[in-house]
Amino acid sequence: MLDYILIQAANGLVIGVLFALIATGLTIIFSILKIVNFAHGEIYMVGGYFGYYVITLLGVPPFPAVFVAMALTFLFSIGIERGLLTPLYSPSIERKADYGILITFGLSVFLRNIAIIIFGPFPLRPPSFLEGNLVIGGLIVSDDRLVAAGGGILLLAGLIYFLNRTVWGQALNAVSQSRESASIVGINSERMYMLAFGVGGALAGGAGALIAPIYSLSPSMGLVPDTQAFVIVILGGLGSVSGTIIAALVLGLSENLFIALLPDPSRGPSYANAFGLFIMMLVLLFRPTGIFGRQHVAMD
Amino acid sequence: MRRLDLALGALLAVFAAIFPLLVNAYWLHVMIIGMMFAIMAASWSLLAGYAGQFSFGHMGFVAVGGYTAALLATDLGLPLPLGMLAGVIASALLGGVIGWTCLRMSGPYLAIFTMAFSEVLRIIIVTEVEVTGGAGGMTVPQLFHAPTDFPYYYLILALLIVSVGGMMLVVASRWGLFFRAIRENEQAAAAAGVKVTRFRIIAFAIASSLAGLAGTFYAPYIGILTPDVASQDQMGLVVAMAIVGGMESLPGAVAGAIAVEFLVEALRSYGQWRLVLFGALLLFTMRFARNGLLAPGWFRLRGLVAPRAAGLGPEAAD
Repeated sequence: MLDYILIQAANGLVIGVLFALIATGLTIIFSILKIVNFAHGEIYMVGGYFGYYVITLLGVPPFPAVFVAMALTFLFSIGIERGLLTPLYSPSIERKADYGILITFGLSVFLRNIAIIIFGPFPLRPPSFLEGNLVIGGLIVSDDRLVAAGGGILLLAGLIYFLNRTVWGQALNAVSQSRESASIVGINSERMYMLAFGVGGALAGGAGALIAPIYSLSPSMGLVPDTQAFVIVILGGLGSVSGTIIAALVLGLSENLFIALLPDPSRGPSYANAFGLFIMMLVLLFRPTGIFGRQHVAMD
Repeated sequence: MRRLDLALGALLAVFAAIFPLLVNAYWLHVMIIGMMFAIMAASWSLLAGYAGQFSFGHMGFVAVGGYTAALLATDLGLPLPLGMLAGVIASALLGGVIGWTCLRMSGPYLAIFTMAFSEVLRIIIVTEVEVTGGAGGMTVPQLFHAPTDFPYYYLILALLIVSVGGMMLVVASRWGLFFRAIRENEQAAAAAGVKVTRFRIIAFAIASSLAGLAGTFYAPYIGILTPDVASQDQMGLVVAMAIVGGMESLPGAVAGAIAVEFLVEALRSYGQWRLVLFGALLLFTMRFARNGLLAPGWFRLRGLVAPRAAGLGPEAAD
C-alpha cells in the first residue's frame, strides 16, 4: 500500500509538470491577450499529433521530435491568432471578452471533431523515449515518465528564463501590465499578441508531444487537460506563471493521491477530476484572483 | 414592417399546424428534435445574448431536468408529467442558486465556473452507475402510447410557443431592458437603479428552467437518457445554433436551431463531418457576421420588401 501511494505520488508529480506546461501557456495567453483560450486543450492535442507524425513520417528521433512539434504548434497557434483573434484588437468591436470566449469555444469543437477525421478516432501511440523502468525499492516509474518530466522541467526553466531575462519576455510583461504604456515605449503590441499566443500554444504542444508515449493520442485527449488547466490557472491566479507552476504540481499530486486513498477504486479516477473542478469553483467563489493572483492582470 | 412579421408569423403557424401531415416519420422526428433544441438555444440566447451571462453550463440544466423527471418516474413511480414538472422546478431552483453563487463573476470566470458545474454534474452522472445507469444511460418510460409521433410534435410545438413567447414578452418588458443594461455595464445599470443581483438571478432561473423543460421532454421522447446531453459537444451545438440565428434574437435562435438540426440530419451520411461543419459555421459566423446569419438576413429581406422601414435596424425590432 505504501509503495502504491509512493508510485501514485511520483506519477502525480510527473503529470503535475506536464499540466504546468499546459497551464502556463494558458496563463501567458490570458495575461497578454486578456482572453481565456477554451481551445487550449485542443492545441495540446494537435501538438501531440505533430510529434507523432514527425516521428513516424519524417523519422526524427522521439526526443528532438518534441521540439519540432513545439515549433509546428507555435506556427499553428500563430495561424489561429492571425485568422481568428485579430478582431480582439480592433477598437470597433464591443465586448471583446465575449468574442474571445465564443471564438475559442467554437474552435475547440471544430478542432476536436476535425481531428477525428484527419487522425482517426483510434488512439495512436508514438515510440517510447526510452524503454524500461526506474526501480528504487518499491517505487517503479517508467523511463518515459521520467523523460517527460525532465523535458517538462527543462521547458519550464527555459520559459522562466525567456520571460525574465530576455527583451521579448520583458516586452510581454510590459504589455501584460499596460497595453498603452507598452506602446508608448515603442513595443509593437500586436507582435506581442502573436508571440504570446504562439508561445502559449507551443508549450501546450510540447506537453502533448511529451505525454504521447505515456497516455497515447486521441482526438478527445484535450478535454480533461482543458478543464484541469482552468483549475490550475484559477488556483494559481490567472496571469501568474510561478503560481501556475506551483498549483499544477499541487493538483497533479493531490489528484493522484486522491485516487490512491479513495476507498472505492471504481469511482476514484472520475471523481479525481470532479474534485479539482469543485475546488476551483470554491476558489472562484471566495478568491476570484486565485491564491497567487496578480491584481493588475485580473479580467476587467 | 410589423405587418410583414405578422404575415410571416401567421404563415409559420399554419405551416407548423399541418407539418406532420406533410412529411414522413423521419423528418417529423427531426423537426421535433429541432424544436427541442430551439428551446435550449433560445433560452441560452436570453441568458448570453440579452443578459450577457456567458454560461457554458446550460446543458447541465438540461440534464438536471431530464434526470429528475426520469428518476422520479422510474424509481419513485411518480406519473411522468409530475416528474417533468418537478424537473422544471428543480432546474429553475438550481439555476437560481448557480446564478446567485456566481454573482461576483463575469466574462470568462463565469464561463469557466458554469462549465465546471456542468462537468461535475456529468462526472457524477457517469460515475453513479447504480442510480443513473452511468455512461450507458437509463431507459425512460414513454409519455404517449401512440403509433406516431404526432402527440410529441404538438406537445413540443406548444412548449416552444409558450416558452419562446414568454421569453419574448419578458424581453419586450422593462425586464428585457434591465437585462440589456446589465449586459452593457453592471455598475452603470446599478447606478441607474437596476437591481442587478435580482435580475441576474432571474435571468439564470428563467433560462435554466427552460433548459430543464427541454430536458424533461427529451428524456421520455428519446426513451434513453445518457450523460452525453451535458457534454461540451452538445453545448457547442446549442451555442452554434444560437449564434447562427443571431445572438440577440429569440426567433433567430429558434430558426437557427431548426435550420442547423435539419442541416445536421441532411448531412447524416457524412458522419463526423457534421460536427466539423457546425464548428466551422460557428467560427465563420463569429468571425465575419457577429450578429448572426438568420436574424440579420430577415431584417435585410424585410428592408427590401418595405424600404420605408429599412432605416430601422434590428435594434428597433427586438
